[in-house]
Order: sequence, then structure tokens, then C-alpha cells
Amino acid sequence: MKRETDYGHPIKSVYTPKDVKDLNYERDLGDPGAYPYSRGYHPDGYRSRVWTQRMTAGLGSSRRTNEVLKKYREMGQRGGMLVICDRTNAMPIDPDHPIGRKEAGVLGWPGASLLEFEELMDGIPLTGQSITLLGSCAMSSIRLAYVVALAEKRGVNLSEVHGSVTEYPFCNLFGQTDAQPLDLNLKLWLDSSEFIVRNKIRMRSGILSQHFQESGGNNAQALAVEMAMLKELCKLLVDERGLDFDDVAFLPYELVSVGSRFFEEIAKIRALRRMWAKMAKETFKARKEKSCQLLIAVHTSGRTMTYQQPLNNIARCAIQTLAGAIAGCTAIDNACLDNAHAEPSPLAARMSLNTQHIVADETGVADVVDPLGGSYFVEYLTDKVEEEAYKIWRKIEDLGGMIASVQKGFIQKMLKDSAQEKQREVERGDRLIVGVNELVIPPEEDFQIPIQELKSEDSEEIAARMEEWKKTRNMPLLQKTITQLYLDAKKEDRHNLMPSIIEAVKAYATAGEMIGVIRKARGLNYDPLETIDCPFNLD
Amino acid sequence: MGKSQAIKVLISVIGLDGHSTGAEIVCRILMDAGMEVVYLGIYQTPEMIVRAAIQEDVDVIGISSHASNYGQIDELLELLKRNNMEDVCVICGGTIPRHQMQELKKKGISEVFPPQSTPESIVHFIVSNVKRAGNSVSGSCSCS
Repeated sequence: MKRETDYGHPIKSVYTPKDVKDLNYERDLGDPGAYPYSRGYHPDGYRSRVWTQRMTAGLGSSRRTNEVLKKYREMGQRGGMLVICDRTNAMPIDPDHPIGRKEAGVLGWPGASLLEFEELMDGIPLTGQSITLLGSCAMSSIRLAYVVALAEKRGVNLSEVHGSVTEYPFCNLFGQTDAQPLDLNLKLWLDSSEFIVRNKIRMRSGILSQHFQESGGNNAQALAVEMAMLKELCKLLVDERGLDFDDVAFLPYELVSVGSRFFEEIAKIRALRRMWAKMAKETFKARKEKSCQLLIAVHTSGRTMTYQQPLNNIARCAIQTLAGAIAGCTAIDNACLDNAHAEPSPLAARMSLNTQHIVADETGVADVVDPLGGSYFVEYLTDKVEEEAYKIWRKIEDLGGMIASVQKGFIQKMLKDSAQEKQREVERGDRLIVGVNELVIPPEEDFQIPIQELKSEDSEEIAARMEEWKKTRNMPLLQKTITQLYLDAKKEDRHNLMPSIIEAVKAYATAGEMIGVIRKARGLNYDPLETIDCPFNLD
Repeated sequence: MGKSQAIKVLISVIGLDGHSTGAEIVCRILMDAGMEVVYLGIYQTPEMIVRAAIQEDVDVIGISSHASNYGQIDELLELLKRNNMEDVCVICGGTIPRHQMQELKKKGISEVFPPQSTPESIVHFIVSNVKRAGNSVSGSCSCS
């Protein structure tokens, strides 16, 4: 068994003041609420606001997902909702696409039009809780338009809506469903981000290390990749879109994957706070303190949820949730015990939410900010993971930054090598997983958990509905707005497409249609799967 | 073992999901065991997979699945039948619940490997169930 951090640093049996002799409290830690924010952003921590306790929702039709959201509310989902889109919508193609229809509503919400968003939000207020919609980059600019359009329809002041509906352009490198080329994703990300910043909308954009880690990256790599992405994207908004860094700093939020190596995960989050604060001040010359505070949410690691003996996952999830709470974060969405089997069953969802409630209400962990601050081991780990992360980040910068590193294949190779190494560690027994490579029991002796599934008929129903509904739209208005979007998409990259996307969304254009004509304008095939043609006459 | 003797395996993710890590790890496991591996990647339809299997003349098709409906695997099996390729061994892996494993095996999938299946179990299954003589696919999949 390896006694090393997940990035390969040896761990001693005991840590003493000697291991942190160079630590300077004011310079390296600060009180919670003071630069460099290693200990957190709020002097009172969770006493002023407890972390948002939420669960991922999204399976089947929009109506079904709407019911699940209401159910989660009853189960104590506090402060925010979180919905992930289905596989078709992530590309995006429409649910009635010949290939898309087989997976409509699978693994997420089929959010292909404003109608779907209206159904999703039926009886659910746009304000009073954070609204988070996840899933791929190009689609996220359309989700932003849904929020703008629905707020307008409901007479809700857009500045009162908060949450996050947009995502970073690199996710298709990290095992996500996203069929769009990097340059298109980047352009749409810049458009949606600029729109948010200029219109002072309190919506964040997810720039996540979670995908990278869940695909096999280690902690030091995750921090390096996260910082490199943040740096590059913020720089583009400042340099290319002419925005002020102190305004841009309100945009990003990070979702960190938290695994079972308890102290290392806590150290990772503390180091991240410090790394962002230093970059904001030193690289971007931030003038406001708030600009030095990166919003960090936690997702407990789905990757660690085993297929074998799924009840064990309750223990894993509890350990990970506790780590996230102790590290300090703005929200936790935890994975479920049946993660390796299917979409969360109601039992699994309730178990995960209850785990959060138990940590928040029964352990006392929420009463003290950064309770492990000052631990010789945790401070050592925080310094060490930051140091190792800087080495990797420097390599990325030497290659020209995140985008250049991607183009040169460096990021992808680093991730694949790490994933293979993690697998080998399990094969060799260097890393033990109860029920998997030790203490294995025959499947017949295992506890049978309830499984929630989507049937093929459910997907077909969603597809058929969309097909029929499409014909009932105001076709002249649709044609007009789609044509305008197409013409605008032919202009230079600097031309922000959000206004024309919003008009098309209000005319009930679908995701496949909108991204399709944007693709066409850029000389790409309307359909990323090259199966259907553009249904609009755009000449 | 000469190249013409190596068992040839096609690995593909099926459907729209982009989680390819598991499939890539299985590719490495099989190559380490001396097999020839053709990896198709993501966004593969049943038609594309069967076409490649014919072109590459494979002994085994290994499918990585993440969807919670299995219609596309049904389609794949149907296409293999129509192309007289029922002697090609088809195995699956991914986040597939146990009762679905039973269903898939009834439909003609030779074996289903849940997450964290050991490399030995996957390799052993393929080696014991696939026979290759010379260059031609004589693969008799003695399973079911």
C-alpha cells in the first residue's frame, strides 16, 4: 500500500512544527476573510451562510425533472437547485434528431428549447435560490438566454437571479459530451461571459477542475489546470473584450471534485483559494478584495462510488462531504451510492442530502471556520500541493498557456497518463478499495439496491413530442430570428451573439437549430453528426 | 505469438456519452495482454461499429455503455445478426445495473463487465472464449 499523496509525494507518520517552520500566518494564511484567504472568505464562515445543500437532478422529460426538483425541496435541498442536461442537449442536438432520439432524457434534462425550461421551472421561482444548470459550453450560452427570456416573461428583475448556467470551453477534453470545436466553444463562452459582465448579471460561469479529476487527473495537476484555465479565460475577457478584471473576477466559479483522501482534499481547496488570491493581486492587479476570492463549490467524487457493495458508498460520501465542509465551500452537491449503476434513485438522493444535513446539523463542523488550520499535517499538505501545482502550471505557461497546451496535446497526455497510473495503482494493490481489490464478496451476497432507470420508450416520447411541437411554432418569427442569428454568426468573433441568441430563444428556436446555424455560418456542418440538413433557407 | 495469431478486439463507446476513460483503460489492458486493439472512440452508432468490425475483421467487439437505456445495444446485436456475424464475441462494460446484465446476456451479449472489473477477468474471458486460427476469423464464441 502506497503512503503517498495522490500526486506521488511521500507521507510521513507524524508532522511537527519543524515541517511548517517557514509558515508565516499573515503572509501564508491570514484570518478567514483576509488575504490570501487560505482559511476562507468569511470571518463567521457558515454561521453567516451555510453551504448550499443540493443534489444533481435531471432524468427523463422536463416535467419529470420538475417533479424531482420539488421532491428534493421536500428532502431539504437548501439554497439552490442543480440540473444537468442530457446527452443530446450537451452536444447539442435536438431530441428529435434521428440519433439523438435514442438518448433523449438519458442522464439529464432534455433542455433543447425555452419551452423545456418553462416546464422545468413550472412552479419554481427564479429568485430566492441559486439556479445552476450544467452541461457543456456551446449549450450554456443558450441556457443563459433561457434565464433572460424567462425572467422577462415573468416580470422578474434579472439582477435578482443568481446561480450559474454557463460552462468553460475545455470540458470536451475531459470526458464530457461536447461535440463542438474549441474555437467555437471559446467564442460562445466569451460572448456569454461578456454579456453577463456588461449587464451586471449575478450569474457565474463554471470553470471546473471536477471533470479533469473525475477523468483521472491528480490533485496537483487539477490545481495547475484550473489556474491555467482561469488565467487564460480572464485574460481573454480583459484583453480581447475590454473588460475590467475586478468585474471579470465575479464571473468564475470552480467545482472541485472531493475524493476520499480526507486531508489531501482539504489541503487542495485551501491551496486553491491562496493560488487564486495571489494571481488576482499579482498578475491581474485586482483593486477589490472580493476579486481575490474565487467562488468554490464541491462535488463529492462520483469516480469513487463503487459498483460493488454500493452501501459502502454512503460511508465514502460522508467522508467526502465532511472534507468539503471542513475545507470551506459555497455549495456541496454530493454523488450518490448508486452512481456506478444508474441515475440517483429517490432513496440514494435522500441519502446524499441527509448526509449533508447530518454533517451540517450534527457534527459541529459548521460552527468553526477552517477548523484544521494550524494542523502541522494540513498546513504542510497545503503548501506541498500548491508547490507541486506551480511546477505543472509553469510547464503549461511555458508552452504558451492553456489553449496552446491543448493544441500541443500536453494536457490530454497528462490526463491519460494519470488515469492509467491510477488504474495500475489499483491493479497492483498500491491503492486499496474495499469491495473492489480487497474484501471482495460474491455479487449474490451483495445488498440489492433499488435502481431508477429510463426506458427507451421514455426517450422516444420526448423525441416525438419535440417533433410535433416544432411544427406549432410561429414559423415566420422563427425564420426571422434564426436568419439574423446566422448573419450575426458570420461577423467577426468579437461580435457578441447573445442578443441574437436571446431573440431566437424567445421565438422558441431549439438548441440544435441555433448552434446548427452558428456552425453553418462558420463553415461547419449544421449537424455535428452529419446526419440531418439545415431545415432553414438562409439565403 | 505472431501478429496473425493475436486476438483482435474492437473497443468502442456506444451512443452520445463522452466518458471514454474506462474504454481507454480496457484498450491498454488488452494490449498489455498481447491482443490487437482497434479503438473507435466516442459518438459511434451501432452501424459505425459493425462497419468497422467487418472492415477490421475482429474476433471480439467490446462496448462501453453509459446510457441508462440499452436500445442501441439491441440494435447492434440485430445488425450483427443481419450481417451473419453472430460468431463475433460481443462483450460490454460500464455503469450497467445487475438486472440489466442478465437481460443483455439473454439477448446475446457474451459477458458484461461492471466498473472495476479486474484486468485478469476480462483477459481470461476473451482468451477462453475466442479461437483464432491463422488469419481468418474462426472465432467460435463458446458462451451462452
